[in-house]
Amino acid sequence: MATQTTSPTRGTARGATRRVRTERTSWSWTVILVLCAVTVLLPLYVTVSMAFKTPEQAVDGQAFSLPSPFSVDGFVQAWNLTTFPVGAGISLLVTAGTVVATILLAAFASYAIMRNWGHRLFRYSFYYLLAAMFIPFPVVALPQIQLTGRVGLDNPFGVILLATMFQLSFSVLLFTAFLRSIPEELEESARLDGATTWQTFWRLVFPLLAPMSATVGIFAFLYAWNDFMMPSLIIADPAMQTLPVRQNLFQSQFSNNYHVAFASYLMAMAPAIVAYLFTQRWVMEGVTQGAVKG
Amino acid sequence: MVQGISRPGRVRRAVASVLAVLTSGVLLGACAQDGREEVRFTFSKREAIGFMSDLVAEYNASQSEARVVLDTSGVDVVSASFVRGNPPDIALANYNMESARFVQRGALSDLSDTEAASRIRPDLQPLMDQYGSYPGRTSALPYSVMAASVIYNEQIFAEQGIEVPRTWSDLIAACETLQAAGITPIYATFKDDWTVAQGWFDYAVGGQLDVIDFFDRLAEQGTDVGPDSAVSFEQDFTGPLEQATELAQYVNPDAASRAYGDGNLAFAQGEAAMYLQGPWAFSEIAKTSPDLALGTFPLPMTDDPDDLRVRVNVDLAAWIPVEARHPEAARDFLEYLYQPEVIEAYNASQLGFTPTTDAAPPDDPRVAGMASYYEDGLVYQGPSVLVPKTIPVNSYAQAVLLGDEPAGMLRTLDADWARLAFRQPAPVSETKEPTP
Repeated sequence: MATQTTSPTRGTARGATRRVRTERTSWSWTVILVLCAVTVLLPLYVTVSMAFKTPEQAVDGQAFSLPSPFSVDGFVQAWNLTTFPVGAGISLLVTAGTVVATILLAAFASYAIMRNWGHRLFRYSFYYLLAAMFIPFPVVALPQIQLTGRVGLDNPFGVILLATMFQLSFSVLLFTAFLRSIPEELEESARLDGATTWQTFWRLVFPLLAPMSATVGIFAFLYAWNDFMMPSLIIADPAMQTLPVRQNLFQSQFSNNYHVAFASYLMAMAPAIVAYLFTQRWVMEGVTQGAVKG
Repeated sequence: MVQGISRPGRVRRAVASVLAVLTSGVLLGACAQDGREEVRFTFSKREAIGFMSDLVAEYNASQSEARVVLDTSGVDVVSASFVRGNPPDIALANYNMESARFVQRGALSDLSDTEAASRIRPDLQPLMDQYGSYPGRTSALPYSVMAASVIYNEQIFAEQGIEVPRTWSDLIAACETLQAAGITPIYATFKDDWTVAQGWFDYAVGGQLDVIDFFDRLAEQGTDVGPDSAVSFEQDFTGPLEQATELAQYVNPDAASRAYGDGNLAFAQGEAAMYLQGPWAFSEIAKTSPDLALGTFPLPMTDDPDDLRVRVNVDLAAWIPVEARHPEAARDFLEYLYQPEVIEAYNASQLGFTPTTDAAPPDDPRVAGMASYYEDGLVYQGPSVLVPKTIPVNSYAQAVLLGDEPAGMLRTLDADWARLAFRQPAPVSETKEPTP
């Protein structure tokens, strides 16, 4: 579909031959894309159908069969075992906090760094931030558990702080690359009109960064929503635990509760999918806008 | 210009409100109390959470001093809480090399003066100490013991006129009879390495070796474990594992591609006569065939009909950390947990054996076949769980059952063991004073 819509706009002869070639190759691409889609859709189908099965049917070895009888027992159990509303609420809190904090802090840092690139302190702090990309959480887990415990951050708030910190380096990398493409003349004209640095940033630069903010936000969202290890180690009070940690309950060596587990995963997946559907449009808009300008 | 001022203001307000929501959530979580002492109780055995929640509710209703809060977030979270310095007040957890680490480092308090400790069967203590101990302390008390052996389909055995085998030759004869009748004698799930280690490896070794004695001698051997040492995996385990590979001739042809879940399903559908699994498989089998008549017997590895033992593991042990915030309340709850009717009801519900001296054996017919061995102390802990997790013994066992040479694999195991002993000496079953 997508490949067909691009070429017909060109009316020349060369365009026509290209179109023929595009149509011929589009079949093989279609097959490949269908195969790719199947690798996603098939597990998704199993997840959905498994979630509605009874315990007996869930272990019968027929993963692809349709649920019969149709049962919502898995959802009820998953809801109760994870106290879903609380878990989802805290996950949402952690995720929202991480996304907002990451976008703001990374944008601040990138703006400061890019506009003071000639200054050694700012250049080095960029390298310093980038270096953090090479430190995975498990390496620093133990001292961070102790540290957060001592300063009273062994709660979702501490997770927001740490998650933001771990997202910062990658986000700064994205923002600085994007900032390079924004001409400095725009800012100079704003300054001529009497804008302060703060106003220039908020009224001019930050809106221009919007497409990249969406991308950074999506990455931060996926990371914070799905992260298991950090919340499991940092949050001390089990009542304040995030959803993925609560769901760990379903993975046991000795017993299979596929229907409960899949029902729970489905419920946890829903917000992520919804958020992605919405922000995906943003990103696509941003990409096409940038393309027209370039 | 007006807009220029209002816009950052709006953003600032938004940021402030997000922060306000976050902090209020944190504060709400911290101050939800009603004057009762809050006892954090860690328990993460998935199958028994329902039972334990009811028990906790009952206890909370029975007194007004403390309120027990059930924490099901698992053992990793507990490790982190020790690091942080706010461990749970009391825990009932699987007793293995991981939780024994808390014992060895003195992070758990002494429970020897509790009433519960006085009722624990003394012959279980060596099993607890095999994972290590802390001098002068009873750091953990067994709460539920799981016994594992061969599960068999009583109907198939009766139809083929097979008696429960008590010797190795009886067992082979039974397998021959079954095979001749076109029935798969044993259902094996070699794809899941833990099932190989738990069943084939442990039953074969524990069925003819004195496991406690072996690991004690191995610990004394120190780092000098190898082809020429007086005791080694290669010397002592080669025989049993060769027998295990002999027995592996009688399994389903697709064993290499079958996992635990497949095994439970196939066995529940009567596809084989025997299954080398622990009692945890019963509830899984019952999901498919709730009324299947099943029994258990220890795997006979020698030709002496009296030389039979069952594999046990301490499925749950109770402990109270030294740093617990409410140790007295936790002890009170501990005594409640060990009341005969409570501990026996729990074990009956999970097909476990009660580790107290006065407890009656379980009456479930599926585990009754192991009761007499447990009563007489004819038990061993699986060698596979006594090897620290840094050594991939499960995969080694799997390799042997998939056709690797036992002696070669065991030489690798010896070398691994020697390397690990160099870093951290292995624990022994007797409590010794630490040497400086």
